[in-house]
Amino acid sequence: MSWIKVCKTDDVPENSVKKFWAGGGTIPLVIARHKNGYRAMPPVCPHMEEPLDVSGVVAGCVLTCTKHLWAWNLETLELQGEAEKPLKTYDVKIEGEDVMAFISEELVYEFDDEDDMDDDDFFNS
Amino acid sequence: MTVTLQTKSGEFKFETAPGEPVLFAGLRAGLTLPYECATGTCGTCRARKISGDCSPGWSEAPGMARFHPDKGDMLMCQAKASGDCLLRVPADVQQRDANTLSPSSIQGRISACRMLTSDVMHVELFLDQPIPFDAGQFMVVGAPGLEGGRAYSMVNHAMETDQLNFVVKRKPDGGFCNWLFDNDVVGSLVTLFGPLGAATFRPEEGFDLLCITGGSGIAGIMSILSHASAIDYFMTHQGQLYFGVRTLADGFYLPELAAMIAKSRENLQVTLALSDEKPSSDRHPDFPDIRLAEGFVHDVAAQSIDGSQENTIGFVAGPAPMVDGAIRVLIANAGLPANRIRYDKFS
Repeated sequence: MSWIKVCKTDDVPENSVKKFWAGGGTIPLVIARHKNGYRAMPPVCPHMEEPLDVSGVVAGCVLTCTKHLWAWNLETLELQGEAEKPLKTYDVKIEGEDVMAFISEELVYEFDDEDDMDDDDFFNS
Repeated sequence: MTVTLQTKSGEFKFETAPGEPVLFAGLRAGLTLPYECATGTCGTCRARKISGDCSPGWSEAPGMARFHPDKGDMLMCQAKASGDCLLRVPADVQQRDANTLSPSSIQGRISACRMLTSDVMHVELFLDQPIPFDAGQFMVVGAPGLEGGRAYSMVNHAMETDQLNFVVKRKPDGGFCNWLFDNDVVGSLVTLFGPLGAATFRPEEGFDLLCITGGSGIAGIMSILSHASAIDYFMTHQGQLYFGVRTLADGFYLPELAAMIAKSRENLQVTLALSDEKPSSDRHPDFPDIRLAEGFVHDVAAQSIDGSQENTIGFVAGPAPMVDGAIRVLIANAGLPANRIRYDKFS
């Protein structure tokens, strides 16, 4: 895959998170618009799969999931608040009025950490 | 019985009493085990049994929804050892300094109950020993013959006290609240474990206070405001409380709040938000220092908060949808970063 048009710039007002489907309706993602731009990412919080279009709040440059206060700076992707995992993101560019995301494959988070529980590396991770 | 925990930061051993949840035994032993609700709903204290005798307890615990009981997953707040056992906990755990107070099991006797509204009761307990606690903390309370414990935040505050006050709201299928509401329980013994919870007021931080709460969620907020008022915190700091109830008749602790306002040199503002009733005035008829507004409490707060709140910390307590809405307001309207919002994560 390559650069894919996800939405129009006006579809996502500043300080909001909207969900879209890309790749012919096969890949869910959210576009978060912060003070200085846009981010494209999987549609759920990497903590407990909360839908970010419902529980995500953008203020300034920070995205916070209201469920457990995991937060990230959307410009630097720095972890804030109680976040323990980074966001995965698709590259984004604006072409005219279009928000484009570079999607080579669907980004997903590993939620089932049972390998972690069984693995000898558990204690070193 | 000895429980051995393998954690990301090493191995720990501690003893449990018969019938005691593994979480309580570990906290009592001074370990910084992960937990939030301590009553089976959130899933934060998940562990996996590797060997030995340890039963998972409450099989329908909401906090287990994402985990694998068939692989030995259990919640430490529900799990009880019946022999020596080995569990894994996917978290960093530390042993607290021996001088740090740890939560403990205590007994209390119900000394007084009074109805605050048609479905909310104020309950006072005398403890068999005084305990210290921070404003905003809670206890897990159990009653004779009732399975499991319920978390209730203290309403009062004292540096060390043998009296704890709680607020209990009647719920249709609530075993503990039905026991309280349907029986003459004064004089009854209850078991308690705590104090628990980190959504606490720390005066040394020097923040202004912005509190949004609904219904019986006012309990911990009352403790925070009581502590602040007692140390004259509002002489030098601002406080805002948005307290949501259904109608004017559902408001409670208003005399106590009015007394705090009177002592605060107008630095404490209290707004009672009525979701199901249009107030006839913007002031409470009996307590004119208390403001009235119509709407859900987080909407009322959103309309009232005027721009970014510098040097402010937010406290939130109440039903889950209200908590979500209030956190949104604190971030989007009050401009608070996530690390300046405190609430107990019960889901």
